[in-house]
Amino acid sequence: MTAAKPELVSVTLDLDMTWRYASGDPMDRFLNGVAKGRLEALRCPECDTRYLPPRPFCGRCNVAMDEWGPVSDTGTLIAWTVVHLSIIDGRTGEPRPSPYGMGLVQLDGADTTLNHYLDTADPDRLSIGARVKAVWRDELRGAMDDIIHFEVVP
Amino acid sequence: MNAVAVIGTGQTNHAKARPDVTQPELIREAVDAALVDAGLTADDIDAVVMSNMEMFEGRALPELWVAEGAYGTGKPVFKIATGGTSGTSACIAGFHQAGSGAFDTVLVVGFEKHSEGHTQTGMALVDPFWDRAVASGALGNFALSISQYMAERGVTEEHAAQVAVKARRNAANNPHAHLQMPDLTIDDVLKSRMLAEPLHLLDMCPQSDGAAAIVVASGDTARKRGPKAAWVHAAATRHDQPYLGDLDRRLITTRALRSAAASAYAQAGITDPLRDFDIAEIYEPASYAELAWYEALEFCDDGEARRLIDDGVTSMDGELPVNPSGGVLSTNPVGASGVIRVAEASLQLLGRAGDRQVAGAKTALATGYGVYAWSDVIVLRSEMP
Repeated sequence: MTAAKPELVSVTLDLDMTWRYASGDPMDRFLNGVAKGRLEALRCPECDTRYLPPRPFCGRCNVAMDEWGPVSDTGTLIAWTVVHLSIIDGRTGEPRPSPYGMGLVQLDGADTTLNHYLDTADPDRLSIGARVKAVWRDELRGAMDDIIHFEVVP
Repeated sequence: MNAVAVIGTGQTNHAKARPDVTQPELIREAVDAALVDAGLTADDIDAVVMSNMEMFEGRALPELWVAEGAYGTGKPVFKIATGGTSGTSACIAGFHQAGSGAFDTVLVVGFEKHSEGHTQTGMALVDPFWDRAVASGALGNFALSISQYMAERGVTEEHAAQVAVKARRNAANNPHAHLQMPDLTIDDVLKSRMLAEPLHLLDMCPQSDGAAAIVVASGDTARKRGPKAAWVHAAATRHDQPYLGDLDRRLITTRALRSAAASAYAQAGITDPLRDFDIAEIYEPASYAELAWYEALEFCDDGEARRLIDDGVTSMDGELPVNPSGGVLSTNPVGASGVIRVAEASLQLLGRAGDRQVAGAKTALATGYGVYAWSDVIVLRSEMP
């Protein structure tokens, strides 16, 4: 048990490192589209699932995908929450200020859902089935956070 | 696979922090307990399987460092890391090793020392192109899935709070458990801090320091030792697609868990899980998840989970006590949590579960759930297959 022992020596370690990842052809095309405000999904030729994020093969049918189709930046909210705990932001390593909204959005033209942030200016408007639209940054860089969050369509 | 059995179990005292021991020492505590329980020495162990989520501690190749704690030097040693299923998958790997004839007696040990690392950072190191921009960790992912589950199944915060209360009260009978709260009430859960709507602090599992070990033996060795063992009658493990949005209505469809359960039940001849199982140790990282698992594991029809918790069917004096140990909601050293499920299910079959014993338990279920993408289902019996 812990109580009887004196405190032992411990070490602290701080690290600051950089990683660089290859995107692959489907994600390269997708993110270049995002930089122009365009969303696209890859369709499985066997099960017809239109995938976001796009990827080279359908994990259910194990077949290659190369047929792209347009996806709207408007869709239906199928799940939502407001997070009240400051979770680590995977881009910066710093806690993201809370509270903030999270949603699963079924974008028109895609069969998978997109998990993304929600505008919580009026949380009473968040409900399953609500229509939502992406709010884009002024300057697009070709990353998923070019969409700041989704807001409920008036 | 030939017959195999769990012939010994061992656990540490699980706690928020164990600064009194290193990671290898933590493991040694559980391993020594399991060897004593099995009546074996380290020389009797032919191979070691470990489970740990190394990104949580931020130390690469933990098995290199900690295997000495498991008497691994000079033996085959490898590690499994699949989130919450790490421990159950390590147990299944041990079953296969002993059941294939490759090894006779296998030690499985899982551990996590959350207090020494950054669990949230480990959770944030996901797909750099997609999830990192919009990650909200296990908490946000669960809350999203739960919002769908509540809407579709008519489950309320009160139903979930009953699960949270059951777990922590059961844990009060388990000397190893991290959170022991014999006087916890539904009101306490509902008034605890809101983390991500509708999840309150007490709806979620803790982060614990702890280790757990089991000794797996071939059927021949288990039989020679005597009549008492926890025999493995079925094991199934399933992986699902990688992104949260790949599977709509995740807690409702629970594709991987339902598929694993169907396979394991067919192997073991389970036709009516609520009647056939005497006790279940299931991996419930959140109160609501336990309700969703009741349906996926076919304890009831879809939409009936709230009735099971309302009627006390899964409480200690109910028809199928679920998580007499207090479950993951009371103790969660992630890499060990799946091993704890198998160890606790085995203790019940051996009649050595102390104050948390379910009288006369003969058939037990143990499950694992990892990162919403993995599911493990294991069926154990006191009778030989």
